Amino acid sequence: MPMPQEPEGFHLDQSFDDVWAEFEDLFVQARQTLATLKEPQPAHVVQASVNALFRTTHTLKGMAGMLGFPSFSKAAHRMEDIFDLMRKGRLRSTDSLVETLEAGILALESGVGGLRRGRSEPEDYLQPLRRQLGELEALARPAEGGAQDLTSMLDLPPDTLKALSEYEHTRVTSLLLSGMPIHGVRICLDFATFDERLRVYGEALGSFGELISTLPWDVPEDREGLAFLLMIACSDLEPSRLPALEGELLGLALLADPARVPASLRAEEAVPPPSEEKEPVPVASAAASPAQEVEILRLPAQRVEALEARLMAVGQLRDAASQLLNRTRRASDDDRPMALMGQMEDGLLDVQKSLLQMRMVKVESLFSRIEPMVKGLSRDTGKPVKLTFQGGDLELERSILGRLTEPFLHLVRNAVDHGLEPPSERAALGKSETGSLRISASQRGRNLRFDIRDDGRGFHLERIQARGIELGLLKAGDNPTPERLHRLTLEPGFSTQDKPTQLSGRGVGMDVVRAEIEALGGEVHLSSEVRRGSLIRLSFPLSRAVVSCLKVRCAGQPFGIPLGSVVRVQAGRQVCRGGDQVRVLGESLPLESLQACLGLPEPDGQRAFVVLGQQGAAARSVEVALGVDEIVGRGEVLLRSLPELAHTAGIMGGSVQEEGILWVLDPDAMLGLAMDSLMRRVARV
Amino acid sequence: MSEQGSWLHVRASGMDLALSTLDLREVVGMETVSPLPGRPQGIQGVVVFQGEFLPVLAWVDLPGCAVPTAPPMAMAVLRPRLAIPIERMIGVIDAPAATFRDIDEDDPATGWAGGLLHAGGLDLRLLDPDRLIALLRRFRGDR
Repeated sequence: MPMPQEPEGFHLDQSFDDVWAEFEDLFVQARQTLATLKEPQPAHVVQASVNALFRTTHTLKGMAGMLGFPSFSKAAHRMEDIFDLMRKGRLRSTDSLVETLEAGILALESGVGGLRRGRSEPEDYLQPLRRQLGELEALARPAEGGAQDLTSMLDLPPDTLKALSEYEHTRVTSLLLSGMPIHGVRICLDFATFDERLRVYGEALGSFGELISTLPWDVPEDREGLAFLLMIACSDLEPSRLPALEGELLGLALLADPARVPASLRAEEAVPPPSEEKEPVPVASAAASPAQEVEILRLPAQRVEALEARLMAVGQLRDAASQLLNRTRRASDDDRPMALMGQMEDGLLDVQKSLLQMRMVKVESLFSRIEPMVKGLSRDTGKPVKLTFQGGDLELERSILGRLTEPFLHLVRNAVDHGLEPPSERAALGKSETGSLRISASQRGRNLRFDIRDDGRGFHLERIQARGIELGLLKAGDNPTPERLHRLTLEPGFSTQDKPTQLSGRGVGMDVVRAEIEALGGEVHLSSEVRRGSLIRLSFPLSRAVVSCLKVRCAGQPFGIPLGSVVRVQAGRQVCRGGDQVRVLGESLPLESLQACLGLPEPDGQRAFVVLGQQGAAARSVEVALGVDEIVGRGEVLLRSLPELAHTAGIMGGSVQEEGILWVLDPDAMLGLAMDSLMRRVARV
Repeated sequence: MSEQGSWLHVRASGMDLALSTLDLREVVGMETVSPLPGRPQGIQGVVVFQGEFLPVLAWVDLPGCAVPTAPPMAMAVLRPRLAIPIERMIGVIDAPAATFRDIDEDDPATGWAGGLLHAGGLDLRLLDPDRLIALLRRFRGDR
């Protein structure tokens, strides 16, 4: 396999973050634009999307070439060619074409993920799509005798006609054959602002129809600046709706009238415009399509880092304000400065919240990458798959999303390739022939959890055990637990497949999944049942967020309990101790002190407790009363995650407060710690 | 840990130690450590450093280390984001002035020291961040 050529001076390390980010942005744009092709659109919108995709793949090709990835560059070039064929009208935008293109973009994206990890380049990134792409290219091949060309109908000087590109020839011909007039808009723009003004004209003309070309034009003798002829295909062009500034507009002209196309030629038109099959929607609604409504602002990595630094600075400023507020409160009876500082602190919290929000993206954008891949895999493996998503509205940090993509794609590939049985095998087992793949995201306290479930054959534990012994990871005669066997699959190079398929089974990947999730401070949990299916659970903490908490105090330290897990708060005269049963709304609940849960010295007795319930559970299956020394109140806190080395059972993170660090409890973990502590009490008795 | 470059000679947990300057982010004045309730072995708590929590080593939990005799005056922040409390900074040792040898197998510090650096008539234990972090992770796994 050829190794990437690393040009002198280039090192694919952290300093390449800008480049990877740019790749990532290009893929996001490509996926979003491809998604718009699945919906019915007016022809000019389809054309604009295809043009954008052509440019994106062209850029990908150039970047890969510059970085010394010749195979990638070749694959991007092939995709670019397909988009070129589309924009020239030689390929129609159909669902199956868009699916193939989505799979191609995904293959390139996945390839970039591999390159980023230092993997060698495969010979052909598009190998799994070779057949489909070959068919498309064959389909688009011009018929014997060459293609029809109607550009000679354009009312333009011969030199200009000669300078038209192949694309312009194709589009002009195709549009005239479809009955669309071609207009020319001549403008003269100032040197200083011509690029911005051209963009404004481009946008305005795009609302009339398809902007085919921007051609250089002669500047009138009495003028200075740059002149252009904008060639546009539309049924009607209203001069009053053009964004012309004084003196800019030199003239409008009809360059070609489709009525003059001979009827015989019109009948010969073999390839209709790209959207002919689809019902056009009004321009207004097309303008609201996601690709057009969302403006993507790409920032270089150093700008994002600067933004992060500002976020950190605001955090430090707020910490300082909190501490100052506390010291002043102790030192002075005058409330006014304190009130002002309190306002400052609140204001800074708001700024922090909004800055945090800027970094968030919806999980949906991760799901949108999975869907086309599953469709492609389903087609390639001949396994029908019912794919469902849940929790796409949840948000996570953009940087985390970028790191999750590759592990996710790997897990989904594995699930379809190895997990789900072929339809005949499923039918023989009494299962539906269509396999089920469910991917859900949920927030558990400050943890984000992803579940990937399939109803396939489950992990073959005997085979895993045998392979584990073969690799020296297990000893013969050992009796490992199912959990241990499942976890073996996360070891580097572990595979039970005799022959890798094109999709998976090389034993490379699950270790990458684990490494990536653990690097995020999270964990991977695998479980399965024979012939019932598998569950892969990824959970990891979100690094920073604003959390609403109930503030309590124990052993002289402040703690926060996320409000989502607080069922009830009770304080009274009665003294309770760990191991007691307390009555809450007629129900008897076990009580354990927070101190006992965290391994701190136990108090003599406590007069307050908080009933904790499992977060997100429809019917609260587990509830425990957690004894605390004092209930302080509620508030919003900026939670910072603990670094991996400081991970502590039951603590989700901390927040710098006036009185020191407030430790935010992880309610699910606390429930477990409380139950363990209660069990130990029972065992001691 | 590197045998190239220069080393910071410090006194920590009552021992003379060498810290490779290549392994250091910076050395800063000691901050008040916020103890972690139910802390993991080897970590006494955290300090807020550059807006993030930074774990602070608990020397006392490490094999071959005693309870520090003096309060720490500074902390050396290692590249893997771990603060090492130090009681005194003694100086900087450059490569030509030092010789190295392996640490004795029965030295309890083998879990976190990568060797011995001989300079100025003293044998200094060389702190190896990789070994130290592996040891801290092992502590967590054992719990």
